[in-house]
Amino acid sequence: MAAAVSIQGLTKKYLDVWNKAEITAVDNLNLEVNEGEIFGFLGRNGAGKTTTIKMLLGLIFPTSGSATVLGKPVGDTDAKAQISYLPEEAYFYESMTGWDCMDFYGRLFRIPEPQRSKRIQKALEDVFLDPKAWRRPLRGYSKGMRQRIGIAQALINDPKLLFLDEPTSGLDPIAHRELRDIIVNVGKQGKTVFLSSHQLPDVELVCSRVAIIHQGKLLASGTIQDLTTGDTVEISADRVSESLAGRIRGVVPAAELVGQRLHISAADPSKVNDVVDLIRGGGATLLSVKPHKRMLEDVFVDVVMNEGGA
Amino acid sequence: MVTLAIAKQTLEDMLRRKILLVLLIIAVGMIALGPSVGFLSPRESSAVLRSLGLAVILLAGLLITILSGIQVIPTEIERRTIYTVLSKPVQRYEFVLGKFLGGIFTVFVMIAAMGVVFLSVLAWQEKRFDPEMLKGVVLTFFQMTLLGALAIFFSTFATPVVNFFLSFGLFIVGNLSSVTDSLISNKNPATRIMANAVHYIIPNFGNFNLQNKLIHPSVEISNANVFIVQNIVYAVIYSAVLLLLAILVFDKREV
Ligand SMILES: Nc1ncnc2c1ncn2[C@@H]1O[C@H](COP(=O)(O)OP(=O)(O)OP(=O)(O)O)[C@@H](O)[C@H]1O
Ligand SMILES: [Mg+2]
Repeated sequence: MAAAVSIQGLTKKYLDVWNKAEITAVDNLNLEVNEGEIFGFLGRNGAGKTTTIKMLLGLIFPTSGSATVLGKPVGDTDAKAQISYLPEEAYFYESMTGWDCMDFYGRLFRIPEPQRSKRIQKALEDVFLDPKAWRRPLRGYSKGMRQRIGIAQALINDPKLLFLDEPTSGLDPIAHRELRDIIVNVGKQGKTVFLSSHQLPDVELVCSRVAIIHQGKLLASGTIQDLTTGDTVEISADRVSESLAGRIRGVVPAAELVGQRLHISAADPSKVNDVVDLIRGGGATLLSVKPHKRMLEDVFVDVVMNEGGA
Repeated sequence: MVTLAIAKQTLEDMLRRKILLVLLIIAVGMIALGPSVGFLSPRESSAVLRSLGLAVILLAGLLITILSGIQVIPTEIERRTIYTVLSKPVQRYEFVLGKFLGGIFTVFVMIAAMGVVFLSVLAWQEKRFDPEMLKGVVLTFFQMTLLGALAIFFSTFATPVVNFFLSFGLFIVGNLSSVTDSLISNKNPATRIMANAVHYIIPNFGNFNLQNKLIHPSVEISNANVFIVQNIVYAVIYSAVLLLLAILVFDKREV
């Protein structure tokens, strides 16, 4: 599979307001995004996600390193014709109507009429923007409506690659779900999506692969399956004696005894049988054995916290 | 096509500003009421209208040109609307040109509106059409084109406030060409070099004022039409150079 985005040693240093201290917003980042995948780009606030995306679009320039997008160097006009971008907070020309705004962007993509009007109509329908709002100035749009225009303008050129920077932030639950479904749909059409988001349950649902960055450095990347392997089992039992607890700890060191209650929050599934045998054989009462699925959120917290970043 | 789309968007955005409408109403009001300043003979009132008309158009044109020139690009960056534009297949030079053209179209629409009112009032007053005054209005427009290009160039690296003083200051200095002219023949070589530099580097805005012909009748202009065409060519070439520099700077600019 060809790489839709390929990043080699990308680094961005900003000077602070007084031009003194340097902030390394992106630090020697290496990343490959395959064609046709929905790629989740995760990291805490200030991790360097937006900075990376802006470099990939040629809005700002790397301090060092390089990147190719759709096989072309950053800023290539042919590549840009097949790319679209939804900025972190969508800003548009407030006095334009939704339709005129889309028409303007359609012209920037050099889409001729009558194709342009058709594309606009389809894009606005695809994002479920109320047709009554199409001819109203954007200044009167709610946050959710703006976000829909933002997605619509990212669909108008029928792009191969979409950069979406937090597309679902600040939306109500229904709108949130609608926009998430739009992204899934876009993915089904074989388009590549580079998605930066803090909504980890969404990412888990829609993305095939993710990368986690922290303070500009890549900490982890891989498929959701690979990252979330290591499901665990929670076991609890009552009337456990000290000596029994000792024997159980011989099998699972993480067992916690509080009073007579034993709690094991993360047991390797292969050890469950042994522990249960010990509990039953030792005269204690087995209370529960619950499988615990490792979520992306757990992975994120583990990876980021282990890096010492509080 | 992309450049024109950006120019159109800029023009529409500018024309929606109330300040422009207010300026236009004040300017048109002054021109239209100029001749009715009572107690003037028709001949005097005609003279008043001629200098008032060109002066009002120059002043209003100046304000509009500086206002639009210093802010069309910074506003895009500040409001972050530039992200969705430059991430599309738009070259940075197309963006700069589109913004410049949009500003100049705005200036054109405003000067044309004031010019039509001015020339009509004058024609009504004098019962004949005066092509001299039309030339005056046209020259003012090209003077503003040059000033607009200067403001766009500064806007690629200076803040609007700094830009305001730079553009306005250079406009004033550039209007003093008669002063630098006389300094060029100064005995002091340092003064001569300075005057030469100022004279040749700073855009010669003074040459665009037809009124100067009245103020300095000693400056003999053999052929007025050639003089006007020379000035227009000068404005176009100088603006092109300024835009080229603006593009070179903006190409490296982070947004
Ligand atoms: N123009 C700038 N000048 C100076 N520092 C900047 C600039 N833009 C970003 N930074 C800094 O770079 C770092 C990364 O910022 P960035 O916006 O890329 O983070 P992010 O991952 O997108 O965060 P968030 O999730 O909050 O959007 C931050 O420390 C930020 O303060
Ligand atoms: Mg961000």
